[in-house]
Amino acid sequence: MGSAPPRAPHSLARVQKQTVGTGTAVPAARGDSLQIGIDVGSTTVKLVVVRPGTPQVLWQAYERHHAHQPERVLELLERAEAEVPGLAAPGTRVFVTGSGAHPLAEPLGARFVQEVNAVTLAVERLHPDVMSVAELGGQDAKIILFRWNQRTGERQAWTSMNDRCASGTGATIDKCLLKIGMPAEDVQRVHLSDRPMHHIAAKCGVFAEMDVVNLTKTGVPAEEILCSLGDAIVQQNLSVLARGNTLKPRVLLLGGPMFYFPFLQECWRRRIEETWHDRGIALPKGVAPERLIEVPDNALFYAAYGAVIYGERIAEEDAPYRGSAALRAFIQAGRQARFGSRAGPPLAADADELAAFRAAYTIPPFEPPRLAAGSTVRAALGVDGGSTSTKAVLMDEDGRILNKAYRLSKGNPIQDVKELLAELKAHVEEQDAALEVTAFGATGYAAGVLENALRADVNVVETVAHMQSAVNLFGEMDIICDVGGQDIKVLFLKNGELRSFRLSNQCSAGNGMLLQATAEQFGVGVSDYAEHAFQARLAPRFSYGCAVFLDSDRVNLQREGFGREELMAGLAMVLPKNIWQYIVQVPRIDGLGRRYVLQGGTQYNLAAVKAQVDYIRERVPDAQVHLHPHPGEAGAIGAAMEALRVVRQRGHSTFVGLEQAIAITYATRTDESTRCGFCTNRCPRTYITTRTPDGSEAIYISGFSCERGTVPDVEALKAFNREQRERARRLPNLAAEEARRVFASGFPVEPLPEPGAPVQGAAPPRGWLGRARLRKRRFVRSGAATQAARAEVRIGMPRVLDMWSTAPFWRAYFETLGVPARNLVFSRESGERMFADGAKYGAVDPCYPGKVAQAHIHDLLTHHHSPQRPLRYIYFPTMPSTLGAMGSDIGLSCPVVTGTPNVIKAAFTKEVDFFAARGIEYVDAAVNFGVPVLQRAHLHATWGPRLGITRDENEFAIEQGLRAQAACEAELQQRGREVLESIEREGRFGVLLLSRPYHLDSGLIHGVPETLQELGYPVITLRSIPRDPAWLERFFREDLAAGRITHPLDIRDVWPEAHTANSAHKVWGAKFAARHAHLAVVDLSSFKCGHDSPTYGLIDNILTTANVPYLALHDLDANRPTGTLRIRLRTFAHALRVREEQLAEHTRKERELAERLRRKREELLAGGRDDAPVGVPPLAALQPAGGQP
Amino acid sequence: MSAIPPREGGAAPGATELPRPVAAELQAFETTERERLGLPAGQRAQWVEAVHTAFTRSQRDTTTVLLAGLTEAHDHLLAAAVRRLGYRIEVLPTPDEEAFQQGKAYCDRAMCNPAYFTVGNLLRYLQRLRDEQGLSVAEINRRYLCVTAAGCGPCRFGLYINEYRKALREVGFEGFRVLLFNQTIDDQQMGEGGGLEVNAKFLIQVLRGLILADIVNLLKYRTRPYERVPGATDAAVTRSRAVLMEALEQGRGMIAALRQVRREFAAIPVDRTRVKPKVALLGEIWAETTEGDGNYRLPAFLEGEGAEVEVQPLTTWILTLLWEPRFDLARLARLWPRYGKAREEAPRRVWLKVMAARGVEQAIRITFYVSGWLAGLRDFRIPNIDRLAQQAHPYYDVEQRAGEMFLEVAKTMEYGDHATAHMVLSVKPFGCMPSSGVSDGVQSLLTERNPQTLFLPVETTGDGAVNVYSRVQMQLFKATDMARREAQQALTASGLTLAEVQSHLARYPKLGNALHRSPHRYACNAANLFHEIGRRLSL
Repeated sequence: MGSAPPRAPHSLARVQKQTVGTGTAVPAARGDSLQIGIDVGSTTVKLVVVRPGTPQVLWQAYERHHAHQPERVLELLERAEAEVPGLAAPGTRVFVTGSGAHPLAEPLGARFVQEVNAVTLAVERLHPDVMSVAELGGQDAKIILFRWNQRTGERQAWTSMNDRCASGTGATIDKCLLKIGMPAEDVQRVHLSDRPMHHIAAKCGVFAEMDVVNLTKTGVPAEEILCSLGDAIVQQNLSVLARGNTLKPRVLLLGGPMFYFPFLQECWRRRIEETWHDRGIALPKGVAPERLIEVPDNALFYAAYGAVIYGERIAEEDAPYRGSAALRAFIQAGRQARFGSRAGPPLAADADELAAFRAAYTIPPFEPPRLAAGSTVRAALGVDGGSTSTKAVLMDEDGRILNKAYRLSKGNPIQDVKELLAELKAHVEEQDAALEVTAFGATGYAAGVLENALRADVNVVETVAHMQSAVNLFGEMDIICDVGGQDIKVLFLKNGELRSFRLSNQCSAGNGMLLQATAEQFGVGVSDYAEHAFQARLAPRFSYGCAVFLDSDRVNLQREGFGREELMAGLAMVLPKNIWQYIVQVPRIDGLGRRYVLQGGTQYNLAAVKAQVDYIRERVPDAQVHLHPHPGEAGAIGAAMEALRVVRQRGHSTFVGLEQAIAITYATRTDESTRCGFCTNRCPRTYITTRTPDGSEAIYISGFSCERGTVPDVEALKAFNREQRERARRLPNLAAEEARRVFASGFPVEPLPEPGAPVQGAAPPRGWLGRARLRKRRFVRSGAATQAARAEVRIGMPRVLDMWSTAPFWRAYFETLGVPARNLVFSRESGERMFADGAKYGAVDPCYPGKVAQAHIHDLLTHHHSPQRPLRYIYFPTMPSTLGAMGSDIGLSCPVVTGTPNVIKAAFTKEVDFFAARGIEYVDAAVNFGVPVLQRAHLHATWGPRLGITRDENEFAIEQGLRAQAACEAELQQRGREVLESIEREGRFGVLLLSRPYHLDSGLIHGVPETLQELGYPVITLRSIPRDPAWLERFFREDLAAGRITHPLDIRDVWPEAHTANSAHKVWGAKFAARHAHLAVVDLSSFKCGHDSPTYGLIDNILTTANVPYLALHDLDANRPTGTLRIRLRTFAHALRVREEQLAEHTRKERELAERLRRKREELLAGGRDDAPVGVPPLAALQPAGGQP
Repeated sequence: MSAIPPREGGAAPGATELPRPVAAELQAFETTERERLGLPAGQRAQWVEAVHTAFTRSQRDTTTVLLAGLTEAHDHLLAAAVRRLGYRIEVLPTPDEEAFQQGKAYCDRAMCNPAYFTVGNLLRYLQRLRDEQGLSVAEINRRYLCVTAAGCGPCRFGLYINEYRKALREVGFEGFRVLLFNQTIDDQQMGEGGGLEVNAKFLIQVLRGLILADIVNLLKYRTRPYERVPGATDAAVTRSRAVLMEALEQGRGMIAALRQVRREFAAIPVDRTRVKPKVALLGEIWAETTEGDGNYRLPAFLEGEGAEVEVQPLTTWILTLLWEPRFDLARLARLWPRYGKAREEAPRRVWLKVMAARGVEQAIRITFYVSGWLAGLRDFRIPNIDRLAQQAHPYYDVEQRAGEMFLEVAKTMEYGDHATAHMVLSVKPFGCMPSSGVSDGVQSLLTERNPQTLFLPVETTGDGAVNVYSRVQMQLFKATDMARREAQQALTASGLTLAEVQSHLARYPKLGNALHRSPHRYACNAANLFHEIGRRLSL
């Protein structure tokens, strides 16, 4: 076995914990050559001085560097030189490690050691019994696992480090702390205890931030959010970073966040112990339980210490310390030379340009109009509860802004609004006037809470509020670009109405916040951002896109030596690229229009405005770019305007009144009594109870993941269900129907033919030379005992991926062979809890539909299998092609769909064989539906030996399977036909979901169909569109006649190279919608869906050319982005309503025309002329379907 | 334009017959009524994708075919080989960061990044022709076209053509021709008009060019880490490329050219006692092949960090592409007696096809080995694809045909089993479905079973190189350790000191020649040399 541990009499592990930032010296004998280890991380610098040959630490210090890595290192070195005698003497060696260390190696004369290796070396030296290490740094997370190599008998380290797309790091915690608004010293006192956990998506820093914002907005206590965040980060690291491996005992937890945050340590403990329990890991004997997972006293210094240990491996004269003076010289002169080609021109070429820009765009300070003393001001109040701040405006009944107020969110939105209202009221009263609020409109993330608690007159969706504000101020505009803290909204208008819109998705969010956070990190107030950025003489080029990547780019550029001003300029210049190239995705914006309005809180930053104006003018030279005079309050203004309109129309306001609102009290509660018990997810809900002085009380519920969570008790649930049924009758939701139908049993399979019955069709030809030798054959059945045994077999199948396309086949196939329907078990639909429980096994991080498969296998293993009712097989076939709608020519499946069964096998067998341990056989053998011969051969090879079936039985069962599949498809299409014809008849819009079949899993689609239903639209799925050529003919008549296609399902006119089934079906669906006047489209895709990405542009072209209202919801993932989904869907519904009015008008006119034509025709024919006949449009051709709405 | 304008109102098929004056009057009435009601006539405008692939034989002399996407050696030697057939070929520069940004701006979001690099590269080239050389778009469209590869099963790579069209349209080059060279040989879409003739002669030339480039690259990466004079290898590569290009273009003198290549490399002074970890670079085909920013210039980075890189020859990839239809055909032919005809062909004909395919594969191998031998490439084996498939199948089902299929898994197993590399670096584009979505998941089981294989998967995003470099350094550290231990072990086992090795090399300079290969015992080449010298001295 491994080498014996070195003795460590004064090892690092035993040195007393040092106060942060204070170096502590132990006297060293003069003349000793010493070794320095420096760890330059993304947020802190750690330095240790060690006596060579011993593990004794003489001096150590830990400091935040605030992005001044070299300066901070210099400072620490100078202190160390002063405090440790002999450190500056010749012979001292220096080693650096950490993500920021590389550029410092040369000036210091140091050797660079990669940080994971440095930590490994330190742990190998100090803890020979440790088998796992988890370290969280500022932007890195690392896991080190030690294994005994059976072949060599050595302890080997396996290391893993996060790639950029991860959030399990200290930086995420820091950013979320900003949102929660909890002081750092309080955070260190938070413990895990039994607090309810809330869902936070930890796969990405931006996602996590958005979830934290939502929780904060709905009043969840900060401690609960923090613990949920900690737990989410730990789970993310355990499932992705550990690549499915177990952290075996003993475990060390290292790094700053681990050291300082007790709740984080406790989350690790809880989750690691859970995995030990689940995976049956034996615990070492004789080790105290608290030492099994331990944060050592000097958890911060391991990398620095490990770097020094590296020195033992290289020549003694290597890495001579050049002294702090060398570093000083580098800081003063060396860095500027390194800029290279990563910098571009600054924000303004010269002072004149800047002055001209300022003259045009500086917003004059807002001066509230003087109020007449003794008057009573009647005003509408608009409140925008945004992601990072709350804004309020007072508007008089003529639309004049009387005052406005703004504050960064402190957590609970009710508290924010109370304070803002008090401020506005005080301002009026200071002028000896009185304030009467006649209307109250709310918008933004917090609008729901405010509507409920303060009985707002309107709850306006943000986009609409912004649009109304801009249109009111500037009149006819083409484009409104609103950049808030978290979201970016770009609205395209026509005749003052919303034509279409683009909203940042989660992957493109957080830009405004990043600018703000960067300013804060540099110690610059947000309001001074522009001043600093305009001073830059060059600007580094950032890659646009994700805010997390941008932030890590910033750290790297900073490390290269770019200064604060340059970085701020560079970040401002990346904003328009993110807006136009990443979110709007229109590289040539000249076709979009020329009248722009810029608004949103980020537009107070003139550097950001200049970057945007320049970007637009470069591409659209004659563009008029207006800056909203109240950029941050545009949403609140829109809400006030809408409230005024509604109150005028209704005649009274529902608002509780100013006094009541200011004096409102509230209490939030999240405990077992508020937990939703209406399904197995058992969502932890938060009740916010508000009480106004007049005694009226309101409860607002948040934290649920489906509509059932909106009701407090069983009675309310019953009423809710009744309402749901009624709604489903009026507005069918074919997505839910399809999800049920596809997995339902009940297809009447035919019994297997009797033995000896003649086999239908020709017998297989034989003979090598191709001579067909016909042979009469009789049906061969398996023996009675084998058949009887099949009745006992239970087969589990995951309800994932292509099982959604083939489930009816599998049911009928196995039922025909004699496996009873009750023994064919599908896992449950995906859910947050299921994912949390079962997602710790996989080593890869593909799209969510692929990733969730492991949770389904886990569900089968734990929920559907028991010693009493054992599963014999878990069947998850590898399907290279599927039973798609587009026929066998375009029948291929996506590689992730095809390969996931193999990935699952690897994940569930690599450390422990979870199947074998339960006596289950996991079957992932391939079946190719694309080639019938292969399909038959594959299935017989798989199930022949296992179920003892004969080839004849196999083929008969396949035939039954295909019939069941066809029957299911026919039923779905029948329903689709009914709904499509009914919306045509009634002149309404229906929403077609362009999705893959497996997106209909309720855990994947995040309630989109239900929300659409709630907004008043029937939902139609792709598979439910009839594929009967005769029925489709009227939609594709012109294309067929023009020879562009040869069949209604042909898509070669738009995509000649299509070859995968589901993508092609989606594109066809878009074509269908482009030809059906009553369909709007919601295009759904998963994050990382490689097969949908090439269709984004195609679908956009198809739908935009035909002017179909459509909404793209790309990047769906594990987390349910409730807030942003609702904004999108509600905005979409708003646009759709305008279109519906147009459609109704169009239909009316078409009918009138048809009627007038009929009469005219009769009139003419009655005149009786007798000439040569020619073609005239029949009345049917004038029906609205296919016409232009 | 790609959008069809709204159709003018008119007769529809299946109309009832009316006397002509009645019809005309009715038509006029309808027009007036529509105007009055504000109702546009006809169906909605519909999108139709415009595909431009016309390339006729007569255009061949005046049309420049643009090529790009592989290593410099591949691009140039391929171009030279095809020029021999009378085509005007121009090679685009290796795609870099700037090309990536350009591609990202105009392609669909969430495409894999090789699309951004390659599409952006073409866009940039065309824009330069327009903006710097003053050619009009019409002229560019007439005088240039681009050929790109497709295939790779159901993976995004096969859909890049869509991105080319989208980006070209957005940038204002609507009408520029991009032809598809489909990698599955039996399904060519080389455009209409027969300008590009994909016949046996053409394919042979393509293969020759690619095989020769493989050989040059293998020699380069074997030699460069050990060169005593920095730049000597690159200079030899440039000269070798020129000699080979000339032979390819002229269609003669190939043997002499290959011998010249051998002399060029043999003349490079090297120090083969340098202990270097060997890193096998695998992964998604484009990411593992390119030498530009598409993989963060990883081969150069690895060499800079002290490693020797083993690159994957395209020949293996070509053989895998040929394996696929041959394997399927043979399997169907075997199933034929049992399940009935699967194809409209006599089984004898099918088997003949299978045998012909095997023949082509053998011919490629022989060409590779003979050319390699002449050029001084020793001790390099092209793996048997059937064996690789078989070996990987229990982990990675051979029915999965996307991207590199089973290759990544099988090659990692090979490196582990034969101890021919210390570290396997598998590089793939961010979100690559077959590679990072499937292969990496399967590899985790293999690394669990063979902990001695240092396996590192890396996803490239086109930016964020610092993080990738750090992860590579993390693993390379261990690989370096392994190499050092092997070297020490070899010295200890043979009882030699480094000085003794050096003096032996001074006496027998042939052993220290750049092209010399010591018998394989360790992954580390220096260790193999020590072992070889030890054995020579002990005899």
